[in-house]
Amino acid sequence: MSTFIERPKSSCALGGALTTLAGLTRVVPIVHAAGGCAAGLSGVYSGAAGYRGTGYCGGNMMPTTNIAENNVVFGGEDRLAEQIENTLFAMDGDLYVVVTGCQVEIIGDDVKSVVKNYSDKNVIAVSTPGFLGNTLKGYDAVVGALVDFVIKPQEVKDAKTINIFGVVPGHDVFYRGNLEEIRRLLGLIGVKVNTFFSISDTIDDIRGYGSAALSVVLAPNVGVAPAEKLKQKNGTPYILSEIPVGPSGTAAFLRQIGQAVNAPHSLVESVIAAEAKYYYTYLNGIVDTFSDLDFQRFAIISADGYYAHALTKFIANDLGWVPHLTTINDIPDDDEQVLYLQRFIDITSETRPIITFEQQAGQILKHVRDSWALNHNEKYYDALSPAYVIGSGIDSGLAEKLGATFLSVAFPVSNRVVMNKTIAGFRGGLTLIEDLITQLVASR
Amino acid sequence: MSSRYSQELSYGFTEQLAPPVRETRIGVCAAYCGECGDLIRDVQSGCAQLQGRKFAQSGGCQLMLAVGIVSSLTNVVVIVHSPLGCCSGFVGMGGVRKATRSSRGKSSEDFIWIHTNLDELDVVNGGEAKLREAILYAEKEYHPDAIIIANGCVPGIIGDDIDSIVSELDSRLSAKLVPIHCEGFKSRYVASGYDSAYHGVLRHLVDPKIKERSVIAEENEQRDALEKYRISRTVNIFNVGSNSNGDEVELSRIISALGLIPRVLPLNATLDDLASIGEAALNVSICATHDDYLLGHLQERFGTPYLIDTLPIGIRSTNRWLREIAKFFHLEEEAERVIKLENDALNKALEPFRAVLKGKKVYVGGGETRILTTAAFFKYDLDMELVGVKAHNVDRFVEEIAEELHDPKLHITVAAGQPAEELAVINILKPDLYCGHQGANGWVTRLGVPNIPLFGMAFNFMGYSGAFELARKAAKALKNTNFVRNISANVDLPLTKAWFERDTRLNIKETENI
Repeated sequence: MSTFIERPKSSCALGGALTTLAGLTRVVPIVHAAGGCAAGLSGVYSGAAGYRGTGYCGGNMMPTTNIAENNVVFGGEDRLAEQIENTLFAMDGDLYVVVTGCQVEIIGDDVKSVVKNYSDKNVIAVSTPGFLGNTLKGYDAVVGALVDFVIKPQEVKDAKTINIFGVVPGHDVFYRGNLEEIRRLLGLIGVKVNTFFSISDTIDDIRGYGSAALSVVLAPNVGVAPAEKLKQKNGTPYILSEIPVGPSGTAAFLRQIGQAVNAPHSLVESVIAAEAKYYYTYLNGIVDTFSDLDFQRFAIISADGYYAHALTKFIANDLGWVPHLTTINDIPDDDEQVLYLQRFIDITSETRPIITFEQQAGQILKHVRDSWALNHNEKYYDALSPAYVIGSGIDSGLAEKLGATFLSVAFPVSNRVVMNKTIAGFRGGLTLIEDLITQLVASR
Repeated sequence: MSSRYSQELSYGFTEQLAPPVRETRIGVCAAYCGECGDLIRDVQSGCAQLQGRKFAQSGGCQLMLAVGIVSSLTNVVVIVHSPLGCCSGFVGMGGVRKATRSSRGKSSEDFIWIHTNLDELDVVNGGEAKLREAILYAEKEYHPDAIIIANGCVPGIIGDDIDSIVSELDSRLSAKLVPIHCEGFKSRYVASGYDSAYHGVLRHLVDPKIKERSVIAEENEQRDALEKYRISRTVNIFNVGSNSNGDEVELSRIISALGLIPRVLPLNATLDDLASIGEAALNVSICATHDDYLLGHLQERFGTPYLIDTLPIGIRSTNRWLREIAKFFHLEEEAERVIKLENDALNKALEPFRAVLKGKKVYVGGGETRILTTAAFFKYDLDMELVGVKAHNVDRFVEEIAEELHDPKLHITVAAGQPAEELAVINILKPDLYCGHQGANGWVTRLGVPNIPLFGMAFNFMGYSGAFELARKAAKALKNTNFVRNISANVDLPLTKAWFERDTRLNIKETENI
């Protein structure tokens, strides 16, 4: 059973569906819900995902049935049909996706049978009421619908092509930059990557995703459902992996995928070596300042399951900061927590981080305070300082209270602009270091 | 004194748990495409209120407007009783709220909201238990002055009884509990959300304090006399979410110039401010769409007369607003002196901008009172050519402002959001400059029309200084239009050619008023 959440770092399933659709090329959502749902939920990710914007057909451009009290009493199916007809006239898209809000799901509108009349016009439907859960549930529903209705089953597979699941547009604020970098990196070891959401992916491309021999899920708690669906439908197996951030994570990632697709070991290792050379050549530039000014920090990481371990590993294993505490906001289930904890086995720093799972944003401060001896006005007090909070925008208050420097990385990010930058791969690690250390020199 | 439009409206809904929606309380037009004169005629006859659209795009939700009002108050926790999406835009707004408050010298506390996170099980079993837990958590962790509970569609449809939880817990907590009934599906007219918010404020937060009395009689008399004098000179200016601190400073300055005492509320107010909201000689609205419900009730409860007239943007509207206030206090002569002084200086300062903007075609879209007053400024004070306006909604409160434009043939559409309709109209009218509401300007940029925002929490638009700033902004936008040119040449709109070619009026249809 779920609980209330203080300052949740997520939207609802419909919000997740809309941000996912906004990540696809030339896709028009048709929102069967009350009039404010579409623009309101789109606004969450157009603003708080590094000012990513509305996309092709987001914000108040989104067609919606705008149902009201009379529809809640008498049903909204006729209104939906009228809206679909008119959307096909007014809106130019490669795919039209009817998504549903809470109101019409509770009253039991038969959306599927309305949409069936338009199946020859690239209209599909997916059930996405907010009460299904958080943003991640909306991603699973929409990508599941792409598997059901868009991806064509294929007998013959290309052994060196993979599909990526679990990167949620906007919820990973760096999603497009990350996907492009992953594509570039895997391309170096001879792997073709289907990403759904990079700017060059079209609906036509997605139709052909059945030819991939493998699905790779980059998140612990999202993407598995549609990958499983594709396995059932098309026989495509999937493996669980992690978004690679920085040298250690990316080397592990390249080796894992290389092995899964039987890429030559020597090729994988030579790519890793070349990327590492690139990384350390640039990193070398900051070494003097880093060392002279002591830029090592105590790190407090507050993120979703998607980023929490990946960032901790980068900070601890690569950058050499002290990983003090890592807290994860979107894994409430006990069994999944046990599973997720195992990931931290690979942290190589002398200090091991404290790991907490906490949905309530206000409680993170307590976890940090509980983790460190209080200052009882001792003359000599070993403080948790200098500290750095790497979290979401909501954690800026946490940093303020701790007197820590702050960088937003996990969703929401509303205090900086993110366009095509990536924090994935070796190069993404450099970008992340740039952003982290910029905060330390910003006043100079 | 009130407004000729509200005389026939009744207030006195505070005994009810929830206010009536605006569809039934005032009557609102939400869809229209035609000429300004015809629209006002059709609003008066009632048929404009019976129009809807075939192809609809997303507008707003009354929940967000309601919560926008109450979340600004000092030291409150907002509980959104709904699935996770409702108000999830809060995730990106913490810094904005801090900046909005600190620009006014208010405490820049962290904004705390709690989501009851209703899921499928709750849809079946009801979400009241989660709400109770959330209220107790808010009290224990944050000791707020008030815990405000906003009700979304799901609890509204499944019938959660938030009011009985409130009555059960209210006397046991130090925080005041304020239920706000603002289910999105209940009203197509999002401004109903303001009534929902103020309904909760009026029922639970406007709670005058018992005055301390001294044992020395003369001291009481003296204090009472001073207070009576203060109240007799106090003007409450009712602020709105779209005005800036600069606007509040400017309007207060003008009121002070008459020798009156301005007080700005209810947004960003403390509970103590709200408790003394009745201590004023006159309540003045700057936008009828926001607060006729509040002002009407305050008159009923405290006998405070109110003024709902125009929105003080541009020279004419600001003059008019000031004159109406002055009339109430019999300060007409003082007002004329202020107006002359201000207008002379401002007109001189506007000259260079007028030289640039004169004859340029302009289109204005947004909230009804703001667009019509802003349009009047462009047309009459800057000599621009007004080619059209778009109002989110139109109700009785703007009849006179619309007539004062003296342009019955002016193209007007009524549409909350609906950028497809707006872009089709703009594509034909081809303005040189567009001035619009948040959410619209990006699309207009993609269409290739230079634009400026209609309001901004960091910009001054109101009063005389606001007129200058607005003119300055309009002129600046035309100093380099390469951004819109580049974007429109390289970025596609999702609308079809057929849509652009069809008469927008064909999208309007007859509908019910609910």
